[in-house]
Amino acid sequence: MTRWVMVADLNRCVGCQTCTAACKHTNATLPQVQWRKVIDIEWGSYPDAHRLFMPVGCQHCADPPCMSVCPSTATGQREDGIVTIDYDLCIGCGYCMVACPYQARYKVTRPHFAYGDEPMPSEAVRFDEGRMGVAQKCTFCSDRVDEGLARGLTPGIDPEATPGCVNACIADALSFGDIEDENSNVSRLLEEKTWFQMHGELETETGFYYLWDGGKQEE
Amino acid sequence: MHAKTKPHGKKVSTYCYQCVNGPDLLTVEVIDGVATRIEPNFDLRGEHPADGKICVKPFGLIQKTYNPNRILHPMKRTNPKKGKDEDPGWVQISWDEALDLVAERLKKAREKGVLDENGNPRLAFTTGGAATPFKYMGSFPAFLVAWGPFDQSIGAGGTVKCYHSEHMFGELWHRAFTVLPDTPSCDYIISFGNNINASGGVTGVRRHADARARGMKRIQFEPHLSVTGATSSEWIPIRPQTDSAVLYAMLHVLMHETPLERLDVPFLRDYTSSPYLVGPNGFYLRDPESRKPLLWDLRSNRAVPYDTEGTEPALLGPFRVEEAIEVGPDEETWNHRNVEAPTALDKARALVSDKSPEWAEGISDVPAATIRRIANEFLEHARIGETVEIDGRVLPYRPVATVLGKSVNNGWGGYDCVWAHTMMQVLVGALEVPGGLLGSTVHLSGDTDWDRMLTVEPGEDGFMKHPFNPTSKEEWERHPVNRHAEQSITPMAGHNQGAQLFGATTLAWLRLQGRAGQNWPRPKPPDVWFVYKCNPAISFSETEKICEEMAQFPFIVAFAYQMDETVHFADVLLPEATDLESDQLLRIGGTHYFENHWVTEGWALRQAAVEPLGEAKDFSWIANQLARRLGMLEQYNSMINFGVCGVPLQGEEYDFSLAVDREHDQEEVWDAVCKAATFELTGGKEVLGLDWFREHGFKTRPFSRLHWYLFPLMQDMGLRFELPYQERYYRMGRELANRLHEEGIHWWDRQLEEYEPLPEWRDINRIYDEMIERDCGANPADFPFWALTARSMQYAWGANVSVQLMTELSENVFGHDGVVMNRGKAREMGIEDGDTIEVISPVASVTGTARLREGIRPDVVLMVAQFGQWKTPHARELKRPGINPLVPMNLDSLDAGGAMKDLTKVKIRRVGEAS
Repeated sequence: MTRWVMVADLNRCVGCQTCTAACKHTNATLPQVQWRKVIDIEWGSYPDAHRLFMPVGCQHCADPPCMSVCPSTATGQREDGIVTIDYDLCIGCGYCMVACPYQARYKVTRPHFAYGDEPMPSEAVRFDEGRMGVAQKCTFCSDRVDEGLARGLTPGIDPEATPGCVNACIADALSFGDIEDENSNVSRLLEEKTWFQMHGELETETGFYYLWDGGKQEE
Repeated sequence: MHAKTKPHGKKVSTYCYQCVNGPDLLTVEVIDGVATRIEPNFDLRGEHPADGKICVKPFGLIQKTYNPNRILHPMKRTNPKKGKDEDPGWVQISWDEALDLVAERLKKAREKGVLDENGNPRLAFTTGGAATPFKYMGSFPAFLVAWGPFDQSIGAGGTVKCYHSEHMFGELWHRAFTVLPDTPSCDYIISFGNNINASGGVTGVRRHADARARGMKRIQFEPHLSVTGATSSEWIPIRPQTDSAVLYAMLHVLMHETPLERLDVPFLRDYTSSPYLVGPNGFYLRDPESRKPLLWDLRSNRAVPYDTEGTEPALLGPFRVEEAIEVGPDEETWNHRNVEAPTALDKARALVSDKSPEWAEGISDVPAATIRRIANEFLEHARIGETVEIDGRVLPYRPVATVLGKSVNNGWGGYDCVWAHTMMQVLVGALEVPGGLLGSTVHLSGDTDWDRMLTVEPGEDGFMKHPFNPTSKEEWERHPVNRHAEQSITPMAGHNQGAQLFGATTLAWLRLQGRAGQNWPRPKPPDVWFVYKCNPAISFSETEKICEEMAQFPFIVAFAYQMDETVHFADVLLPEATDLESDQLLRIGGTHYFENHWVTEGWALRQAAVEPLGEAKDFSWIANQLARRLGMLEQYNSMINFGVCGVPLQGEEYDFSLAVDREHDQEEVWDAVCKAATFELTGGKEVLGLDWFREHGFKTRPFSRLHWYLFPLMQDMGLRFELPYQERYYRMGRELANRLHEEGIHWWDRQLEEYEPLPEWRDINRIYDEMIERDCGANPADFPFWALTARSMQYAWGANVSVQLMTELSENVFGHDGVVMNRGKAREMGIEDGDTIEVISPVASVTGTARLREGIRPDVVLMVAQFGQWKTPHARELKRPGINPLVPMNLDSLDAGGAMKDLTKVKIRRVGEAS
């Protein structure tokens, strides 16, 4: 069995949004649609204030709240753990958007582009009418994973088989791999480092792990 | 599922050099002739310090190419009246008409003589992006050089928004135009506002992330919690402009609270000027015969010339010297007998004797215990005495570094800070050795910016040779050539090809405005001003006045991407092919800028992945056309052959030179450059042309890590680092004072005070308060906040404010969309997040949205990046405020090097409620 997961090392992430940009390029998402993004978090109070950057997006939960509320069965789950949306089945009701604890889903009802209603040539080439009026979110670049596997490549290791955000991360903060393989890159990281899952109390069993050493080391 | 969003097109290799941390090598996916997607060039894994990853800015290149607001046809102004509120009346014209118009003006200028009646060049050229636009200009630089003298002093932000004091002194001391820790080996970094996560590019981010992962500690002193502070071990919210106080206190800890034996005594003794003896007038005591500086030899118990064999130099004195001379300015000489002489290190110790951590606490808001602890941690981490082997050579291993940010290392106090932080390195022997503080590249001491070692030659007094502008009576440039008078007034800037960029660009504007330089004729604007990839109307200071001045320029040629605030004043617009539409070969690797220390070096091609849109033309084509129209083809081609495109086309063993008497298209030019470059790279084994580079993108060879460090070369040449004492600088300043006073010039006297052999601590807060009172006629007490700016990775150097993707991405990083204030302080003033506030400086005011945060001092407001656009499409709709209009520009704001800071004191007023 395989379960694809993402690992984000918060000790490394600098919030640069290169992953956000790469995701938009890889998946041709419209303006303001960010399947991957990094949020900028502050806690504490002056002068004991702290700041942290956290890559977020669909957590590819083992028990996805979005799936159980979907009336049309458009949201599904693959055997490898990737949570999917069938745009042909989706009726755009938006229940999943409300149910998702990670605010990972987007819906665009009408085409809009970087500079208004008219697409630039680069946008026109890649515009997908099928995404209008339906829920959309991070796919873990399942098409790259599948094509890569078909070519004998290893997702998370070979760029052609790896999600665009991971390929682009300049801080080497994002990793992708098979958690069921105990020797995989992600399994080793989770074995060696301290980690948490977002909203662990909801028991969604996310496929997204955050490495975090607890913050500043003050001597 | 994603039939249309996942098409596979062809991949074209090219690079992004929108900022100084580049070039980032990448691939562009092209579908049916349309560029659709950018990816890192994964072939660079293992060669590049960040495995070929690319920064966020290149992802904006697709939108930059297809932005509907691009100017795609040559245009000319029809309304002769220029002004912010005037409509230029643009009309589209043909390339022939546009080039004829420009050529005609250039011809007229040339006929009158390349210098005007004031001796200033009639042609001026201004660019931005820390000169990275030169990497986009194809063969155009060959045209400029062929032209003759052209003025680059009309700045767009350099010397205000740069690391100017570090540039000046860094190159003098250790061939370091910019400095960096040897991050892959460094264990402890003290950073005073160095915003490496925003300014250090891909390689900076990656190397620091790796270092954190192996336990490196970074202490961030900064008035606000930046993206770099966020990932530091500690954030210490220091009061703005008091960094030198903390640095001096740390030096106090190392020099007065630490026994000398715990410092790196062999390094101080053998590789610095610490043992040189200083005379009563502040110049080195010298041997009367050889005129060489003296040091005290503990073996023979007498003063001997510094290079005497078999000595044991004393580091701390004082000593009594029987006979010696001192040589001051203009060869003034003093003869001494039986004179008491401290060492240079004694003088440095004395400078900080009363600068205790307790003293600094009151100034900086940093607790004395914190300063003392960090200074001692620095010392402990320095591993004094340890060594490491690098490529077969044993070198000292000192894994500690101190680094400075912008506005800490330029303008007033910049000298103090760069001296103090470099001295921190010197005391523990952590300069230019593995783990320590390194230089990156050079721009002042030579033209070989890809190999700083090539510029090292033995000079006077055991130090490296350095190309200062002369200050002697015979050689001083009495009549300024360029409008900022760099040869006359900023000797540290030097006079090589790039030196103009480091003179007092603010002074050029002030002189044009008639606000400075009274003893010299007020300069005229250039007859022809070329502007490219810069926007001084936004990026300089007191921008309203800059606009008024630009409106007086008779003929401005803008290589224009879109309408913007500077283009608004232009006469002719020439649309040049942008990043993905044009060709140029470029050196990569080696050591280059901040954290770009590679283990390979070579060449990479930027190539047209797609056809230029509209009538946009490759810069090389434009250069060719102008050269032909001016009858300058021979000079222009000769300059290409000479090497202006990156490498000489003719060498002892090869000849790829172009025929000088005819036009060559860009393909021919770059094919020849590719061949010469690969011949040079492979020692003649391979000659690869343009077609090879179009397919493969880049060509490299190994680059030894030993070449990252200057120390071994200094050791081999028997040279000393020119620290701690600045005798040459002191003498040069006294000579410059003599020259200026002989001409009756006293308006530079304040700057002349900075030429001290050791920088006496300056209170920058007091200097700014005095400036507000004296130059702005305002009461400093009315301006209780410091307004600061910070670099943004999404925008820095990129000229990409009109790229929608950058807007979208930057909204994820706090503070881009307004004025950041301390939450507690704001609420005290009745200001809530989202309210509109007015930020008022002594010279102007701007309004913006209040953004409240805990990670900022209560006496500071922050405006990220450079906004305030009123003309640039897209950007003008963002209504993001910028700091630049608020920054007072006056002579008093300039330091001796001619640099100033982009910060100011302000007051805040709430003007509207959050919507």
